[in-house]
Amino acid sequence: MAELLLFQLYGPLASWGEPAVGEHRPSATHPGKSQVTGLLGAALGLSRDQEEKLAALAGGYGLAVRVDAEGELLRDYHTTQVPPARRGRTFTTRAEELAVDDLYTILSQRDYRVEAAWTCALWATASAPYPLPDLAEALRRPRFTLYLGRKSCPPALPLRPELIESNTLKDAFAGYALDDRLGRLKRPERHRYFWEEPLPDGLASGFSPQEKLWVVPRRDRPGSRRRWQFATRDEHHAMA
Amino acid sequence: MERFVQLHLLTAYPPANLNRDDLGRPKTALVGGAERLRISSQSLKRAWRNSDLFQESLAGHLGTRTKRMGEEVFNRLVTSGVPKQKAHEWARKIAGVFGKLNSPSKEEQKKSDYDPYDPKWTHIGQLAHFSPEELAAIDALVQKLIETKQGPSGEDLNLLRERHSAADIALFGRMLADVPSFNTEAACQVAHAITVHKVAVEDDFYTAVDDLNKGEEDVGAGHMGETEFGAGLFYLYLCLDRELLLKNLGGDAQLAERTVEALVASTATVAPTGKQNSFASRARASYVLCEKGDAQPRSLAVAFLKPVEAGREGLLANAIKALEDERERLDRAYGDGDPNAVAMNTLTGRGSLADILAYAKGGLADG
Repeated sequence: MAELLLFQLYGPLASWGEPAVGEHRPSATHPGKSQVTGLLGAALGLSRDQEEKLAALAGGYGLAVRVDAEGELLRDYHTTQVPPARRGRTFTTRAEELAVDDLYTILSQRDYRVEAAWTCALWATASAPYPLPDLAEALRRPRFTLYLGRKSCPPALPLRPELIESNTLKDAFAGYALDDRLGRLKRPERHRYFWEEPLPDGLASGFSPQEKLWVVPRRDRPGSRRRWQFATRDEHHAMA
Repeated sequence: MERFVQLHLLTAYPPANLNRDDLGRPKTALVGGAERLRISSQSLKRAWRNSDLFQESLAGHLGTRTKRMGEEVFNRLVTSGVPKQKAHEWARKIAGVFGKLNSPSKEEQKKSDYDPYDPKWTHIGQLAHFSPEELAAIDALVQKLIETKQGPSGEDLNLLRERHSAADIALFGRMLADVPSFNTEAACQVAHAITVHKVAVEDDFYTAVDDLNKGEEDVGAGHMGETEFGAGLFYLYLCLDRELLLKNLGGDAQLAERTVEALVASTATVAPTGKQNSFASRARASYVLCEKGDAQPRSLAVAFLKPVEAGREGLLANAIKALEDERERLDRAYGDGDPNAVAMNTLTGRGSLADILAYAKGGLADG
């Protein structure tokens, strides 16, 4: 038996950023390690420059995700007017920036997931900085605003954190049903699951060899936020 | 003090194209299996923070714009007995922090009436912005120079303060890749606005007549074009972290109150500027709900997963009902709701924007 903390993620828009430089900012189909770590950090009131505490948070918990509704891709065409950088010219308000006569435009394409919902499961590792019930409480009464990958994507349901004891990941997820209000979202017949290993003592994945798919590296393990570095992490996939 | 203020607004826009994609079409999103019009959070924020209303409600706190800060410093130093030459040098150092200084050209220097200590050589080439905190820092530094009779050190010149009181940045954040220490985390979270009902983006096919074409050879139109537009009742959601706002404003509760007022008033009354000359689609919120509390903030967008129908009651009445019912059900299911939430409803005539403002800033001064 192992203890798991499960919670749901739904908002009309969500964006789970992938490695990106430049104009196109893609989104993965499900939240990754860095985004869930950021969410927990926000709930606990850790600021972005508290790198050591955020690293402890990333290393302190294992993550598994169930895709409750796959949703669709929304590509947002985004323009930003900015003044060229000049030495000695600083702006304190956006209105002041927009008042200069040499504005130019930066284009970007930002991807979002719409009509999608996820359930996350966390387990504590030996180095976990907070017990799971404390994390659950922090999610109920967060210190900073929470969001689904981008600040413009607030959750549209309480995360409803629940502690569940289980022998397998599969059973733990089965014990946590998505909110009824999301009945209009298109639900898959078989759900996709993602998790990282090693699983803690007393917890097996619970997926049969037929249900298990591949193991894919994903570059979402936060390294240094200041330098914007991410390391790879192996994600195990299953469909059940 | 309750940490979070959540605002839920319903605003009806007539035919409009407020926020367009790369093809010039109004932006859309799929919600609950139905296409909706969408206004991106970025577009909303730009309209609000650039609006006259926002500027006016914060006037005095947005700082001072001037080229002549150096001259002010120079004059003060000279009247306090600092020799002209040193006063000029120090004033140039201080003003130089905020912009490139005007310098005399070679030709200028050859003129017979050339004065190297003319205060105009302490002026900045362009208008620079000085926040209230920066003005106070300059003031303190000048006082120090007068007392010690020593020029400013490099550290003294670090006047571009990390914590500035500009309400705009406190609300919407700032990211400077070059100088991460000046970054400010936005205290305000704004969701994309989405219509509560299903919409079809429509085409307006239009022609323009060539007034000087007498129709002798060619009787066609001078120009043909197509404009896409949509109309709808939008649900807007924003969440303000008041503790973060207060922190970003250096604990100035009075300024925080004015900032909250400016934000709430502009969200309810300022429309994005896109295609306003073609559509004049200005609108004010018909319904505003304000909640306060420490529980996890959540938008009420689930109320509109099922597209609202006009029915017999009308779109607005049905949307308000859907929103209020969903809020009640969510609060009952999860607890932690705000029992004192305040609403302004133009359909029933209950509540006013003043009520919302008062509620949104209430408790801020208690810290």
